[in-house]
Amino acid sequence: MTTTPLLVPPPPLIHLTGVTKTLKGQDEPRTILAGVDLTVRAGDSVAILGRSGSGKSTLLSLIGLFDRPDGGQYLLGGRDITRIPERKAAALRSAEFGFVFQRFFLLKHLTAAQNVAMALVNGQGWLPRRKRKAKVLAALDRVGIGHLAKHKPPRLSGGEQQRVAIARALVREPRILLADEPTGALDTETGNLVVEVLRQATEVGCGLVLVTHDHDHAAKMGRVLHLSDGLLRPAGQRVIA
Amino acid sequence: MIRLSGRLRASLIIGGQGIRARKLRTFLSMVSLFLGVLAVVVVQAGAEIANRAMLADVELYQGKDGTRQMYVPPEGQAVPVALEVLEGRTDAVAMTTSRAIIGEPGVKPINEGGGPIDQVGDYTGPRMTCDQSGCYPVQDANSGAPSGQAVELQLVGLTGDVRQFRPFRPSQGRWLDFGGEPSLAPRLVLNEQAAKAFTRYHVPAEMRVDGATANPTPQIIGVVDDGGYQPAAYVRADELMNWMPVAELGDSSSGGGLQVLMTPTAVEVEHVLRARLVAAGTPEEQIHVNTVETLKRMSTELALMRWIFLGMAALVLLIGVAGILNVGLATVGERIEEFALRRAVGTPRLLLAGIVLAETLLTGLLTAALAIGAGVVGLQLAMTVFGSRFPALEGTAFPWQAGVAGVIAGLVAGVLGGLVPALRAARIPISTVMRA
Repeated sequence: MTTTPLLVPPPPLIHLTGVTKTLKGQDEPRTILAGVDLTVRAGDSVAILGRSGSGKSTLLSLIGLFDRPDGGQYLLGGRDITRIPERKAAALRSAEFGFVFQRFFLLKHLTAAQNVAMALVNGQGWLPRRKRKAKVLAALDRVGIGHLAKHKPPRLSGGEQQRVAIARALVREPRILLADEPTGALDTETGNLVVEVLRQATEVGCGLVLVTHDHDHAAKMGRVLHLSDGLLRPAGQRVIA
Repeated sequence: MIRLSGRLRASLIIGGQGIRARKLRTFLSMVSLFLGVLAVVVVQAGAEIANRAMLADVELYQGKDGTRQMYVPPEGQAVPVALEVLEGRTDAVAMTTSRAIIGEPGVKPINEGGGPIDQVGDYTGPRMTCDQSGCYPVQDANSGAPSGQAVELQLVGLTGDVRQFRPFRPSQGRWLDFGGEPSLAPRLVLNEQAAKAFTRYHVPAEMRVDGATANPTPQIIGVVDDGGYQPAAYVRADELMNWMPVAELGDSSSGGGLQVLMTPTAVEVEHVLRARLVAAGTPEEQIHVNTVETLKRMSTELALMRWIFLGMAALVLLIGVAGILNVGLATVGERIEEFALRRAVGTPRLLLAGIVLAETLLTGLLTAALAIGAGVVGLQLAMTVFGSRFPALEGTAFPWQAGVAGVIAGLVAGVLGGLVPALRAARIPISTVMRA
């Protein structure tokens, strides 16, 4: 008699349940997220659409541990990190996440390679210079701009700058890539190129959450979700009042 | 440990990048800080050098710290006994004091009374003695003598090389040689006041010494700076004793008594000397011994002076700190996005603070190095220009204490100037800055 091994699927990379967030400004407190549920597995690519001010960036900042939710639960790889202290959050940001922003956020006084190396020289472990250099060049090659390693950002085009930023996000080989309107400052053609580079990362098992206004780019993702009224729903699903 | 080392390296690398990226700002911070650190370095160096110079001057006439001094009264057989005990010893030297006049025979000296040669007329005159009925001139060989070309000085007889206790600075010629046989023509080493007198008045060299049986012809072999203000000459005691009885060396009319200088370890000779003196009839309470403690005595007033000046330097340093703080705060304001980005890629808050502090500390250290360098060069220049006017400063090196004070000032300024910007950098929220 033979036995079939029981295959237990790995826990999802990101599992949000009923996550809420209220912003407390000078005016009345404003509920941005009213109970968001989201699951992202390895290799998933998820696009989040929504109007300006709908809470897309807030959601991304909660996923990326820039901020903490007011309620609900956040499991990362099966581990509850809803109330994780800042010191541990910094370590997780370094080890698990890669971030790509709309405005690139490259330091003008550093070369492309030094900008990418920034993610390695962050006090979370230490790599010798040679290994660091090899990783940086590999990341730059992966996004197709290895030859621009010694160029400083002012000498690079918008698309090249965003690819440097993507290389910076990929250099630590994160399990999750978070991109907040990465094509917002680029023309259509360059934007398509950047989205393609991001999508390719999912082919090696990386989870991708892309916040965008562009439906064409969203359509290239595995799943498209819409954030409105503080809730996340599959795109196209209508809210019945 | 590895983690800490990684963070330290990371903060130094990123701090260095920050400095290179803002060279002009770093330079301006350094300019404001430079004066403050230089003030600390100069005050500390000045205090150390003044301390050494004052000590060097005081040592000339009071003796080095730790020297034991015994005063032997002139009465009875005390002086002959003391000279006998100390004969041939190197750890103790006896000094006798006599009055001598060198110059034309039978004339009144130019500086009657042995006063400074520059103040002839002000402080000169016949020796006086006082009793209950008042003060009146001593009747001695000068009384009624005609005025002439002669110099009165204090003649110090030595049983050994006194320079181990009182480090006279050689000016000309050579010092006394205590190794050979005593010369019949007493060899004299003049102090600078006496040398000045003999340069000004070219007098015949006959030496009249109180209590001497005849007037010898001296040989002047050298000149030293002994820190004294009155003309004096040093001579081997045994050469002096060729011309006068030993009992006369302690004659109270010509100075009186004898001073013995001993090393701190010469305990045995002190005991023997005291015992022999008491046995020879000297009352024990008249034998006084004390230890030279110049540094201890002067340290309080020197420390007070130093703290006053350091306080003033600290105020100047504070201005530098305010400058570095101002530049630091402005820089953090400009670098909000960079710090938020660094936090986003996993840099802990503590390391961010460390990066800002590393920048200000590196700036402070660099400034300290420049200020210390300026101090060293300044001292060399000052020594070249003014060195000949201040013999006590001859061979003075830049005090290491000033270097340490400069480094500490640079570090303190770096910490004080960088702390508030560092805390601000660590508190920058990521989510609000990085929002699309």
